[in-house]
Amino acid sequence: MGEFVTVARSDEVAEGTATAFVVGDDEVAVARVDGDLYAFSDICTHRHCNLSMGGEIDGTSIECECHGSRFSMETGEVLNPPATEPLATFTVREVDGQIHVEPAE
Amino acid sequence: MTPRTFTIVGASLAGATAAATLRDEGFDGRIVLIGGEERLPYERPGLSKGFLRGEEQVDDLLVRPPSWYEEQDIDLRLGVMAERLDPSARSIELSDGDPVGFDAALIATGARNRRLPVPGIDLDGVLDLRTVADAETIRRRAADAGRIAVVGMGFIGAEVSASLRTTGVDVTVVEPFETPMYRALGAQAGQVVAQIHADHGVKMRLGESVDRFEGDGALRAVVTELGEEIEAQVAVVGVGVQPNAEIWPLELAADGGIPVGPDLQSEIPGVFAAGDVASHDHPFFGRIRVEHFDNAIKMGEAAARNMLGASRVFDDPHWFWSDQYDVQIQTVGRADDDARIVMRGALEDRSCCWFALNEQGVLRSATSIAWPRDVRRAIKLVQAQARPDPEALADPGVDLRTLMPEGGG
Repeated sequence: MGEFVTVARSDEVAEGTATAFVVGDDEVAVARVDGDLYAFSDICTHRHCNLSMGGEIDGTSIECECHGSRFSMETGEVLNPPATEPLATFTVREVDGQIHVEPAE
Repeated sequence: MTPRTFTIVGASLAGATAAATLRDEGFDGRIVLIGGEERLPYERPGLSKGFLRGEEQVDDLLVRPPSWYEEQDIDLRLGVMAERLDPSARSIELSDGDPVGFDAALIATGARNRRLPVPGIDLDGVLDLRTVADAETIRRRAADAGRIAVVGMGFIGAEVSASLRTTGVDVTVVEPFETPMYRALGAQAGQVVAQIHADHGVKMRLGESVDRFEGDGALRAVVTELGEEIEAQVAVVGVGVQPNAEIWPLELAADGGIPVGPDLQSEIPGVFAAGDVASHDHPFFGRIRVEHFDNAIKMGEAAARNMLGASRVFDDPHWFWSDQYDVQIQTVGRADDDARIVMRGALEDRSCCWFALNEQGVLRSATSIAWPRDVRRAIKLVQAQARPDPEALADPGVDLRTLMPEGGG
């Protein structure tokens, strides 16, 4: 287990939105849906667009604005092409009004 | 029992995607993937965009990483041309080597660039764009010359102009229509695209055709039908394509493609076509041949599933985009000639989305210029053949996802 890093206050990730933070060497998007947080690589595996910039959240999936790749925010799995590689996902938790993300190994 | 052989002709986006879908769906027979180019399947959109600007490398374009083909046990035959499909022997004759038999086959041979039938087309410096090698040549020679002529302002001409202009190359366009991208966008929106290019310093001779290319061995000038000479050592010609359908032993469709039914299967049982070469009997749009990226993926996937017996109608409404400077243009579907157009935003603002409805009020297409999200949101509406309220379509405050018919989606 890596050390969790505090990335934001809870109110900085509003319901139905995704916001990106730098965690270690990664750009990590944190999204909130129905109150739950999801953390995943902000970089689309197809052409490296930032998912948090214009990405559309639908349920627990996010669609890249550039070329329509859609990923599960929960597992990183590709749900719609053109992407073929899954997103990395990260462990995220909320403690005392702060959002914590565990950096990649 | 002998394992089945599925042969895919065309190591293309559609072909490689089909191979991947076959494996994803559990097909463990033999997959032969035949490609004319000596390259692993790659995506072409970047060739007129990031790759042409020098921002992307070949590895960025690959449909699957090199190791994938071995991991998935794909019998890859690159640098080999498929010459003819023999329907009675159920085999593909190759330019090199023994014929390859098949239990099911997919033809995904794409298209090639149309040649402009004018004098001087063979001069050194008269180029076109289809392959990685073409893009590398254009990039290098445009940079050396510092200026180019672009012949044809469709998707390829418009994107090549934007990309090279962005890298500082002087660009002059010759286009027979009065506006760029006329076939895709029509005159009014094309006018906006013309303004965007003019703002970036592209010179355009609109409503003018090329009479000839002049030079002694190497290009010196492009001469228009009005007699105007455009000095250039390099010209890029983008005047449409024709399908690579020579392999097909039966009659072709009127659009030059291989005729396939709603399920992408041809009149030869077990033989399918996908991508640019497929003349598809689309359930909403009638017979249509689409030359775009997303369609090649979606057709490749659908054809693979139907090769395995899914028997599903392919009703994807076709989505595509074009990037020029910082402007993205998107379209889903296809507008009828007599369509009613509903505008969201304003063309004058160069940021808008418009919708085409048919006589019955069914949404047939959506197109946007520098207007995020709404075309993607309209995909499901077009696919559901929805009849959204035109006032709601025109109102930017209405989320298109709320216009889905009951029980749809």
